[in-house]
Amino acid sequence: MASADFKGPVTLERLVDMTTTVYSLPLFYDRLTEIINHPRCSVTDIARVITEDQGLTARLLKLANSPMFGYYSRIDTINKAVTIIGTQQIRDLALAMSVMEVFTDIPKELINMKSFWRHGIACGIIARALATYRRENNVERYFAAGILHDLGLLVMCTTIPGIVREILVTCSKDGTLCLNGELAHLGFTHAEVGRDLFRKWKIPVSIVEPVACHHAPAMAEQFPLGASIIHLANIICQALELGSSGERFVHPLDPAAWQRLDIPACALSRIVKQVEPQLEEAFAILGENAL
Amino acid sequence: MGIVHIDNLNAGMLLAADVHDRNGRLLLGAGTELNDKHLYIFRTWGVLEADIAGIEEGSTPRPAESIDPELLAAAEAEIKPMFRYTDPGHPAIIELMHISTMKKVLHGVR
Repeated sequence: MASADFKGPVTLERLVDMTTTVYSLPLFYDRLTEIINHPRCSVTDIARVITEDQGLTARLLKLANSPMFGYYSRIDTINKAVTIIGTQQIRDLALAMSVMEVFTDIPKELINMKSFWRHGIACGIIARALATYRRENNVERYFAAGILHDLGLLVMCTTIPGIVREILVTCSKDGTLCLNGELAHLGFTHAEVGRDLFRKWKIPVSIVEPVACHHAPAMAEQFPLGASIIHLANIICQALELGSSGERFVHPLDPAAWQRLDIPACALSRIVKQVEPQLEEAFAILGENAL
Repeated sequence: MGIVHIDNLNAGMLLAADVHDRNGRLLLGAGTELNDKHLYIFRTWGVLEADIAGIEEGSTPRPAESIDPELLAAAEAEIKPMFRYTDPGHPAIIELMHISTMKKVLHGVR
């Protein structure tokens, strides 16, 4: 039953091909990228593209006014949001929000979507806080990468549900990491599935690489810092049990990634405390449409 | 006046000095009476302490560390299996295990 509707070997390429024929990134994201990259585009042009999607507009504004951003005055128009938050940043936020809506029909017994997105959103917020602590610019990039880091898992749940179930069952019986289960069963992991799908969707490398390398930050070539941030943020989420993507254990921390981040261990509790009040509101704003 | 940790700040306290965020931006001026929203904003911006008027230096300790040892042991036992694949000697993991244990103690052990 493992692959009733899936004949032949399961390869990364086939998974991604199957996914891209059924699911596609909203056209709107292409248009947004195009207009942002256009040398003569104005804030109003960008705002016009965004406001065509009313749901997204509402969520962006709610998010911009949430404690995560902590702006004192009210951001009541997309125009203002683009000006204050920044064009690249808005694009990355819009990307995360539109991808979240793509996968909706995941078998419930495989993965609890509410818990899955809680994990993603918490990871995004923590990644953003880690980046803010390091005073990186464009922290929304880390937010988006954090939210989407386990997306490959959803791809696997839709394309090879039988195999995913087998992996989950074996791992919970043996008490092993699902990540190793994926490697043993398939020869690749959800991180690689996510990477290949995002590449096909032409998502910027600054987001693709941290997603691809969130379990092996040493493999990152262009954005090792981003990969390290998502790596640590994912581990923090697992340690604090903020949502779950099916993994019951905390993943091992790569000491080199930790060193690269150069964040004192005592800062972690501060960061967690700072992030905690932001979580529920972000879950409410971002989670409502993704279920 | 005295420095008070964010966890011990309450609405109604009077600021003795300006409060800045990590970038040095002024968040709230001296003489302001704190309300709940201010505390929220402090946390959002990573403010860890504030100078409060009318408080003796060192008179407010950090939140009591007096935790029922039984509860603590139960919480530790519960989180331990989760961390079996991590290096228990790594400073970050030690800190995360501590945060996780405290969270369990505060929110109740299952």
